[in-house]
Amino acid sequence: MTAPILTTDRLILRKPNAQDADAALAFFQSDRSRYVGGPHSLGAAWRSFAGEIGHWDIRGYGMWTVTLKDTGRAIGLVGPWHPADWPEFEIGWLLFDDADQGHGFAAEAARAALDYAFVALNQPTVVSYIAPANSASIALAERLGATLDKDAAQPHPDKPCLVYRHAADDNDGSPEAYA
Amino acid sequence: MTLASVISTPRLRLRRPEPSDLPAYTAYYMGPRSHFVRGPYTEDECFEKFATVLGHWQIRDYGRYTITLDDTAIGHVGPLGIDANKPPELTWTLWDGAHEGNGYATEAAIAMRDHLLGDQGWPLLEILVQPDNKPSVRVAEKLGAQLTDLPAPDWYPGCLTYHLTSESIGEALQ
Repeated sequence: MTAPILTTDRLILRKPNAQDADAALAFFQSDRSRYVGGPHSLGAAWRSFAGEIGHWDIRGYGMWTVTLKDTGRAIGLVGPWHPADWPEFEIGWLLFDDADQGHGFAAEAARAALDYAFVALNQPTVVSYIAPANSASIALAERLGATLDKDAAQPHPDKPCLVYRHAADDNDGSPEAYA
Repeated sequence: MTLASVISTPRLRLRRPEPSDLPAYTAYYMGPRSHFVRGPYTEDECFEKFATVLGHWQIRDYGRYTITLDDTAIGHVGPLGIDANKPPELTWTLWDGAHEGNGYATEAAIAMRDHLLGDQGWPLLEILVQPDNKPSVRVAEKLGAQLTDLPAPDWYPGCLTYHLTSESIGEALQ
């Protein structure tokens, strides 16, 4: 399988590989991963990152490594996440480092990923699962035009999260979607 | 040097894992046989564990092989290297109890040992086994692995640690 590469104004999204391991492992062991199940031990962090890669092979899609077009530096992971028991197809996002937050990188990558999900993967609906305390991700979901769906199935009913549902109409691949 | 994509033994074929192995892999890890490896797991955990098996190959350029018998996937065998500062661990598992007692795990593990320590020139493999997992203790002994007094890692309390080096190659299968 050849993994698709997405390009935006400032970013290139490609399948994760060994070059991203250091940045990803640092993230999964840091407090920044607290909303995605972390912080993890080195072993658990390594398994999480390897699982990101293997997800591509099982599903044919997965989260892309987001890299800066200028330097090639890996700054985060954005894209589909759909393990066995996930109720719905999710688009997730995370930035490895505080310093890369606040530049609109996650939004730019997420718009490209949503467009790919609706158009190339033909997903009828897409959600984002967000921890209730993760205000930055909630703000991003709303900025992307997603709305809170209080009736949606929970991935972990014992630990409820906010389910944001994305609108396909806003992601039809037209230039306005990137404005 | 790149590891062989396929390793053949008298009765078995070891090949890189494929997404189509997921159902058999999941059946094992959701079942009672996985209690020696901290199971059983949920279906979701199995998915993520198998995704890790596939991703491991792409990060390390090595990983665990699927053991096939007459084109049926019956288990996995091969090196696991999470922490780059430690020797890779040689692991083996038969997914279904019906395949035990035929020497398949030993046959697969010996082929892995000879490829990694012989063909590839790796210096050392570590083997972690729970002492009450008698079939696996026997496989470790048949491989020529040496029991050490190293403490069990935090994530696998109570296990025995064996070391396997190239000196063990060439020993008879029986």
